[in-house]
Amino acid sequence: MNAWILAATILLGAGLTAALWGVASGPLSRRMVAQNLTTAVACPSLLLLAQGYHRPSYVDLALLLALLGPVGTLVFARLLADELAVATPAAWGLTWTAAGVSAAVVVAVCAATGPSRAMVKLLVTGVLLIGGNLVASRALQGGFRQVRGG
Amino acid sequence: MADAVIVVVLLLVAATATAAVATRDPSRQALVLSLQGVVLAVLFTVLQAPDVALSQLAVGSALTPLLIMLSVRKVRRRARTTDEGGDG
Amino acid sequence: MTRRTALAATAELAAWWAAFGLLWLVLVSTVDALEVLVGASAAAVGAVAARAGRRAVTAR
Repeated sequence: MNAWILAATILLGAGLTAALWGVASGPLSRRMVAQNLTTAVACPSLLLLAQGYHRPSYVDLALLLALLGPVGTLVFARLLADELAVATPAAWGLTWTAAGVSAAVVVAVCAATGPSRAMVKLLVTGVLLIGGNLVASRALQGGFRQVRGG
Repeated sequence: MADAVIVVVLLLVAATATAAVATRDPSRQALVLSLQGVVLAVLFTVLQAPDVALSQLAVGSALTPLLIMLSVRKVRRRARTTDEGGDG
Repeated sequence: MTRRTALAATAELAAWWAAFGLLWLVLVSTVDALEVLVGASAAAVGAVAARAGRRAVTAR
């Protein structure tokens, strides 16, 4: 039990409990925001676990989640678009907080890894994670509606 | 002491599964199942099974909710057309 | 397909191929000849798919 695993435990416990509470209760807009939050919480914790267990191969899990998590949110945003148009979720504070946490975790893990190809892989994962979070949040607010018709 | 993360994630799996069962509407249930997929993948990671976690992420985060949502849409669309056919 | 559009298509495919190939080399654990070969093939497939996706989204 080192500091990395402890940080991952705290992040998972607090973040995923909040996400579960948001997904299981309340109006649809809150549920969608909570679903978007899960990948923003789980991906940095996977990076922390990869560092804590001294297994660089676990970064592949974080990379895959950073790619597929926003895809899942986009699936819901597309298939529930009619219901979402009535009550648009607005949670930019949460989005920027999640982006900040992700950036902090990526910087910490990069500093622990040291300059190498592995650090570039971590940076690519971080960019995909934060970019995917922003794209999914914007899609939830209906920002990409004009693409559907074309 | 290193087992604390395993205990936390196991509790999360139990709580998520209970929430998935307690949710009634299928489209809301798909949202909870997406969360459950990610939590299961984290569980497999802390149990030192990253290949299983990789497969679980690939299936549970985007594919299973997509299947459920498409099925719900298809069933509702068919129910709507049979209603219109019956009245008309 | 005129000569200009063929040139533009080839340039776009080459750009996608280079980007994906570079991404592959960064993400792989060890870089040897087999990895470079597989990466070049995967990047070629990805370039075709990416160009098709871009044309579908921008509706051209």
